Amino acid sequence: MAAEEQEVRMEVEAVQAVYGDDCEIIHDFPPHLHVHITPRTADDSSQQFVEAILGILCDAQYPQKPPHVHIVDSKGLDENREKHLITTIENKAKELSSCLMLVALCEEAVELLSDMNHPEGNCPFCLYPLLVEDQSGTFAPFMKLMSCYHCFHSECIIRWWKWLQNEIIDSKQCDSTISTSAGNQREMEQQQQQNCPVCRKLFDAKDIEHILDYAGTNSSQPTDVIVEMDGDERKFLECESENNRRQQFESLLKLQQENSGLIEPRKEIVVVPGMYLPTTVMPTLAAIDAADEQHLDSGSTAPEAVDLNIPSNKATTSKHRDMNTRRKNRNHSSRRQPNVYPNRTQWIKKEAVSSDP
Amino acid sequence: MTSTSSPSRKALSKIACNRLQKELVEWQVSPPAGFKHKVTDNLQRWVVEVVGAPGTLYASETYQLQVDFPEHYPMEAPQVIFLHPAPLHPHIYSNGHICLDILYDSWSPAMTVSSVCISILSMLSSSTVKQRPADNDRYVKNCRNGRSPKETRWWFHDDKV
Repeated sequence: MAAEEQEVRMEVEAVQAVYGDDCEIIHDFPPHLHVHITPRTADDSSQQFVEAILGILCDAQYPQKPPHVHIVDSKGLDENREKHLITTIENKAKELSSCLMLVALCEEAVELLSDMNHPEGNCPFCLYPLLVEDQSGTFAPFMKLMSCYHCFHSECIIRWWKWLQNEIIDSKQCDSTISTSAGNQREMEQQQQQNCPVCRKLFDAKDIEHILDYAGTNSSQPTDVIVEMDGDERKFLECESENNRRQQFESLLKLQQENSGLIEPRKEIVVVPGMYLPTTVMPTLAAIDAADEQHLDSGSTAPEAVDLNIPSNKATTSKHRDMNTRRKNRNHSSRRQPNVYPNRTQWIKKEAVSSDP
Repeated sequence: MTSTSSPSRKALSKIACNRLQKELVEWQVSPPAGFKHKVTDNLQRWVVEVVGAPGTLYASETYQLQVDFPEHYPMEAPQVIFLHPAPLHPHIYSNGHICLDILYDSWSPAMTVSSVCISILSMLSSSTVKQRPADNDRYVKNCRNGRSPKETRWWFHDDKV
């Protein structure tokens, strides 16, 4: 009896040795383990679409009686795939009955998850399959939220994101009179975090910013939506000398375009249908830029409070000059790509039909 | 009085149309248990028949839900009300308005008519008394001009029923 117990204890140690931090021992003996199982993707989380925490509960008769296996938590698995995972592991356990099987069961789970390591089902926004083939045999790009592994067509989630940004701007305009610096900060935080439309788990704006760039929308556009100007700035942008200057730049730009002396981002090849867009944890350069710019913009209302997490606030003056040129660029881009704007205004919230007085 | 106001007279956008057609097809393939979609040619207004779940206070009672879709569905929530007579329930007003957070503040574009219907049936099923909300008369009086429930500032205070 004691020898058997010794063997089981040694097996638990073996599981721990194989899975390291991914193995949590809930109870020593009889063993109760939580093992974090991920597909074989060489630890590249951007290539990972499923994962599960398996609960393995043995009783005193183990290994004569197979352990109870259940899912503690999972990402990217729907009910059917969870069921498939559990039943396959339970069958394996029956097969191996009376052998020590904990490591074998975990390995079986890794195999299964590696086989299932692709997104499944429909895009929650348009309800069409995530991996939908068009006539040319290519796939629409999709993306995955890192916090919950829920997947969406890139185009669909961006449309939703812009809709939310517009709603925030709308509500800001409504209560602009009571906007204080504290209120601004709270709004900023809201813009940088959103809930997953499927499970409401919080995700970071950074999770999504990289596809805002990919999706053919100009990189300055997402910040453009967020940017707020105070009265002075607006007055300045609308004054005659600025208008003249803009016209001058526009004619120059036109000249350059006509002489093909302009190197522009080739929007049409940014997203090739079917191209897989990995969700990297690292924000892209443009995203960092955008974040900086956002901070600086709000700096006009709360200069002290916002600089906290910007590492490069030493070069504030040059940043400001930089920002001004960028703003001009934005004006150009709005003229150059009129298609961007209808797209944006399309989702502007309509006033509900008001009740009769 | 029955509420017949719709949240927006604007026609459905193309995206809303595509999505609703897709939902309709899904519904026809596998309708949520206890619900029947009454066929009309109006994609923007669905009338859905609901039968109370067996073993609950509303067992085998039949009610009708009216679902109106805004121009920018599913970014905006649909307007869902009970047609007269509305079931007696602590969260359902006599004019058919339903106090349920997912129809207003907690709406998410990942929800569907089908999932909303299931939530409403679950709300009915968990009720332990057949009665109107405490502020029914005041609320219904306020809505006399055919105001949409989406214009109400709802307070969601009870997560039990």
